[in-house]
Amino acid sequence: MPRQTFQEATVAAIAEEMRRDRDVFIMGEDIGPFGGPLKSCHGLWEEFGAEGRVIDTPISEGGFVGAGVGAAFAGKRPIVDIMFLEFLGLVIHQFGLDGGAMHYYSDGKAKIPLVMRAKYGVGPFHGHAYDFHSWLLNVPGVKVVAPSNAADAKGLMKAAIRDDNPVLFLEHMALYHAGREDVPEGEHIVPLGQAEVKRAGKDVTIVASALMTKRALAAAALLAKDGIDAEIVDLRTIAPLDKATILASVRKTGRLVVAGEAIKTGSSSNEVVALVAEEAFGALKAPILRVAPPDIPVPFHRALEKAYLPDAEAIAAAARRLAKS
Amino acid sequence: MTQSESRSPTSRSNQTLLELHRLMAITRALDVAIGKEDGHWHGLEGEEATVAGTYHGLRAGDVVAPHYRGSLTAAIARGGDLRKLLAGIFGKATSYNRGRYRSDVCGPAELGIIGLYSGALGPPLSYATGAALAFKLDRKDNVALAVFGDGSSSRGDCHEAMNMASALKLPVVFVCQNNQVAISTLSRDRVAGRSVADRAVGYGMPGRSIDGNDVLGVHDAVQEAIARARRGEGPSLIEALTFRTAGHFVSDRIETRSAEEVEAWRARDPIASFEKFLIAQGIAARGLLDKANGEIRGQVEHAMALAKSDPEPGADVLGVGTVFA
Repeated sequence: MPRQTFQEATVAAIAEEMRRDRDVFIMGEDIGPFGGPLKSCHGLWEEFGAEGRVIDTPISEGGFVGAGVGAAFAGKRPIVDIMFLEFLGLVIHQFGLDGGAMHYYSDGKAKIPLVMRAKYGVGPFHGHAYDFHSWLLNVPGVKVVAPSNAADAKGLMKAAIRDDNPVLFLEHMALYHAGREDVPEGEHIVPLGQAEVKRAGKDVTIVASALMTKRALAAAALLAKDGIDAEIVDLRTIAPLDKATILASVRKTGRLVVAGEAIKTGSSSNEVVALVAEEAFGALKAPILRVAPPDIPVPFHRALEKAYLPDAEAIAAAARRLAKS
Repeated sequence: MTQSESRSPTSRSNQTLLELHRLMAITRALDVAIGKEDGHWHGLEGEEATVAGTYHGLRAGDVVAPHYRGSLTAAIARGGDLRKLLAGIFGKATSYNRGRYRSDVCGPAELGIIGLYSGALGPPLSYATGAALAFKLDRKDNVALAVFGDGSSSRGDCHEAMNMASALKLPVVFVCQNNQVAISTLSRDRVAGRSVADRAVGYGMPGRSIDGNDVLGVHDAVQEAIARARRGEGPSLIEALTFRTAGHFVSDRIETRSAEEVEAWRARDPIASFEKFLIAQGIAARGLLDKANGEIRGQVEHAMALAKSDPEPGADVLGVGTVFA
């Protein structure tokens, strides 16, 4: 089994799908010979550029995401790379409001198979950190995927490309080049809409995604020292939620912490909280706790950044509070 | 007098000429019939030559992103069924999308028409550009048509779509249906520059400003641009200057333009002048045209009566589980 970084696994998935299906192509800013920021498209130009399937676009996020919607309408399977998630605000109309609605409004006649890639997150890149994906939770017809590791990045990217709907594929920059992991070769698909129990436990459920999954796993190690057995649920797909896996875990443990990187107010984490409050209230032995950054913009200095984003200890502290009740 | 009255004989077949007349007459009949039923109908009396000349003569596989004012004409030009389209005005179960969206601004996707689903002007220009990109990638000689109003010409999306279409040499034809007013805002006050067509120079594509009340002039210009696009020579911009003689919608007041100006444009009625041309050229006699107009009105009224008596959608059409493809 090859060992790859998150970035390498993601690009490998795209390359494999482009070899498999000629309708798949990719466009975005500086993704050609430059290879994309942080090597997000490394090697694609060399392999597919001559066929015109790796398209460097003008700085026109609304224009090229809109072109992705139109090309999908006309039968292609575009991947659009908006570079950073901060630019979601420039394309939410095209990707979400129109792209997400066309299948429904056309009574199933139109399909918009479109993957939109975006890098984000507090991390070594030190900039473009905002996690704004929660905006799309209030837009029907779109999916949101946030892998926490290289193998899932590959499997989820392949599933996203084969999906017939607009899918936002989130690429966390703190995970991007953070070491190599075993990544299955070839036909490795992680179906959209399936969470994974990364660590089984009986005392408290911690739901997370992307970098927060990594921190939740670290929190579980801290909690184990205190004799608290945490179960870690990695969402992998944030929309639509894997309700069954979340509910089964909470019914087992009776306690829930939801850790997210988006600011607390309006965060997609709140959907997990609402789901459990509505459907598993009777199973709860303690209140639900959210671990999230405060309602401020992401600060710049490392010390401020560290104070802003909850770490493993903050997640563990929340779990300890619940375990006592 | 419009150019069509003074124009010399045409090389077109009589069949094409009568088809253009029919498309204009049906547009007028629909305008009258829908205007009686729907106070929010965006009327297009006086703009029939622009829409008929633009939408006539497309091929199967071509994609159109119409301006909302004229979207029904685009659907009819592409073989849309009158009764189903009119049922869509009321959202009836018999309409193309069974009541999920209004047919007056969103044509049937199965006819290659991209609707104005989210209601925002501008993004459809990039959807058409994306469809054109799909055709280029697939080496098809299909074209995409992006039709927009003078108001939409102020959107950044307009710039992004035109710049990208020209830079990538895509087979898209941009048609500005300039009726000189956006809701209440006069284009002479809020669209800078001498004409929208002038912008084509900046994008390195052919641009023409033409009389939008001369159906043959519009048809010539659009067909020439389409032929150019099919040859792989890239996009064009056509600005058809016409006039909105009614309000933004039927129940709207129109105090922003003087009564004299409105009357002067009414005197340039594109249907009446084209009929004079057809008679002068010996292509159709007055009696034949009157008979055709009467038949068309009868067809529209009959279809309207059927549409009105068609069933309302049942709750099953809501299809909560069908938002994803």
